[in-house]
Amino acid sequence: MKRIHVVISPVIFAIVITWAGCKGGPGAGNTIRIGVMTSLTGSNAAFGQAHKNGYTIALEEINAKGGLLGKKVELDYYDDQSRPDQAVQGVSKLVDQDHVPVLLGAYSSESTRAIVPVVTQKQVPLVMPTAVADNVVETGSPWVFRICAGSGSYATVTLDFLKNNGDPKTLAIVYENTNFGQSNNKSMTTAAQAAGLKLVDSEAYQASSPDYKSLLQRVKSKNPEVIYFASYLLDAGTLMRQAEQVNLNPKYYTSAGTGFAAAEFPTPDKGAGKYAEYTFSVSQWLPAARWKGSSEFDEKYFKLTNTHPAYHGMEAYAALIVAAAAIENAKSAQPQPIRDALKALNLPDTPFGPVKFDARGQNAHPVLVTQVQGGQYKVVWPADAAQTKPIIPTPPWSERK
Amino acid sequence: MESVVNWFYPLIQAILNGLLTGALYALIGMGMALIFGVMRIVNFTHGAFLMLGMYVSYVFFLKTGINPYLGFMVSGAILFVIGYAVYMGLLRRIPGQVDFMVILVTLGLALIITDGVQLVFGADYHQINLPLVARNFRLGTQIFVNAPWLLSFVIALVLAVALYLVVTHTMFGRAARAIAQNPYPSPLMGINVNRVQAISFGIGAAAAGVAGALLLPVFYLYPGVGSQFELKSFVMVVLGGMGSIQGAAIAGLVLGVVESLTSLYWGNEWALAVDFVIFILVLSLKPSGIFGSQRA
Repeated sequence: MKRIHVVISPVIFAIVITWAGCKGGPGAGNTIRIGVMTSLTGSNAAFGQAHKNGYTIALEEINAKGGLLGKKVELDYYDDQSRPDQAVQGVSKLVDQDHVPVLLGAYSSESTRAIVPVVTQKQVPLVMPTAVADNVVETGSPWVFRICAGSGSYATVTLDFLKNNGDPKTLAIVYENTNFGQSNNKSMTTAAQAAGLKLVDSEAYQASSPDYKSLLQRVKSKNPEVIYFASYLLDAGTLMRQAEQVNLNPKYYTSAGTGFAAAEFPTPDKGAGKYAEYTFSVSQWLPAARWKGSSEFDEKYFKLTNTHPAYHGMEAYAALIVAAAAIENAKSAQPQPIRDALKALNLPDTPFGPVKFDARGQNAHPVLVTQVQGGQYKVVWPADAAQTKPIIPTPPWSERK
Repeated sequence: MESVVNWFYPLIQAILNGLLTGALYALIGMGMALIFGVMRIVNFTHGAFLMLGMYVSYVFFLKTGINPYLGFMVSGAILFVIGYAVYMGLLRRIPGQVDFMVILVTLGLALIITDGVQLVFGADYHQINLPLVARNFRLGTQIFVNAPWLLSFVIALVLAVALYLVVTHTMFGRAARAIAQNPYPSPLMGINVNRVQAISFGIGAAAAGVAGALLLPVFYLYPGVGSQFELKSFVMVVLGGMGSIQGAAIAGLVLGVVESLTSLYWGNEWALAVDFVIFILVLSLKPSGIFGSQRA
């Protein structure tokens, strides 16, 4: 036995060393490695997977055109396990060890907010695809760029829609007690006050609980005309199922996108199925969006996954396209030139719409309102982009089939 | 009349919901308490066992179409075998059963199981759709009871009573209690300590697995799903009196109701905090647990 070990150990050692060498470091000659932080495992894995699909499509397109600066592009993924502490660790790994010149991510607002100070300190630009909490661009860091619209826009667009569609007077907010939920609660509270809507209830909840019935009962006792949810996918399903169980019947179920806008949400296998029907959601993008390349992206995504994308996949795609354009413009794969190129970037024509960052690093991205009708997301607002009319009020559970 | 409707029905409804959830907690807690009572093992694999129980029922449902309200038996049986094997193969071999070593082994095992499931099934979540989930019973005009929760409540209750009877009325139960009191003289009385402990560990794992199976129709599953329930089961064991299974069962029901009422009157965000405030209060004021000091 011993003798075999003597022979095998050096062989394994050699293999490991060679393999580690192949993974390349800073000097990996012919490639540019871009760091990607997302949630491939943990409770947000569905969104992380959507990210990965979007990144994969963008990467293929970029490399099919010959890469960047004559070099092949590679993505260096780090899975934050849906946890902000892991995201912070991941930035160290990607930047200090792998020396990526630019980072994309993270998925959640919680993780993204956690890594903003880290990328700022390490002086590496961060392109944020999906973080909705507005505090990710409010730290004054010159290293962050967000392509999606934030919680402030979510609130104003939702209120604008309500104002023009029945003009309800009372509102309750139900939100996950994390950065994403808190930020949406704050934005909606402020905006509702300004719009003259009375906030009758504001409920924070602990994510991933099996039982929200008492919370929903509490909301029911306040009798709001509108409920505004800020939830991830798993809780969105639980909340809507249990809303039926406690017979909660507001005139409008509205939401800050995310779980309520995920491609899986209206499906029975992975989401709320029929319980998703009639819910409104803000949306950043749909396959039917009017921007050039939207339907092509939809086709590629469908070919890759056999499902149609929600906006999370598109946002990841756009983030990589944006980073690639910045590297091209900078004619360099170093952090500082890429950052400067991002600041000056002006892409009028991406499948995600025009991209141009303001002084905070925020892209002015328009927000739509959708409603689930017949298991599909349909754009119902703004009027000039609407595919169909909103169904209002939401039929009570007892009258649904 | 109007005012009664406003405060009375929500209260009753919340207590009812709490009991329905609490019965599942009770089952999880009893499994943990049995293991702790008989072996003084703090079982950090409990959440992973629950998750395994969910996956077993899930796969069983996909392959045979038999829903988890029967499939829980398969989960229970398989988890019993796994628990038995884990004790015989791993825990028994720890020299002197040093607490710290046991904790490390169960913690390590939990990681292996969780990552193993992730390797096989992926990190993505899954759920099943039973038509039953859409069924609600109405009690009077105001109170609603959701059918799957009621069913899992009944099953959990029956199993809890059965487990209690096994521990109090069978030879195995007597042996388990003897070991719980003092493991050293037990062999002199003709008790096969290893075997009784392995069976206890198996039953504990099975209880977690069954609870997982019963949760499946109303929840979702992914490899990390067990951890929140594991945390609660620690609270139940302490609340119920360090290894008393009937204490842990009552603690589970109490926890369910407390969480539900906290959500109703104070807000869901506080539910978990209240759990742990109770936990710390009991630990510091009445370390023997609020339901007496009797074990197993």
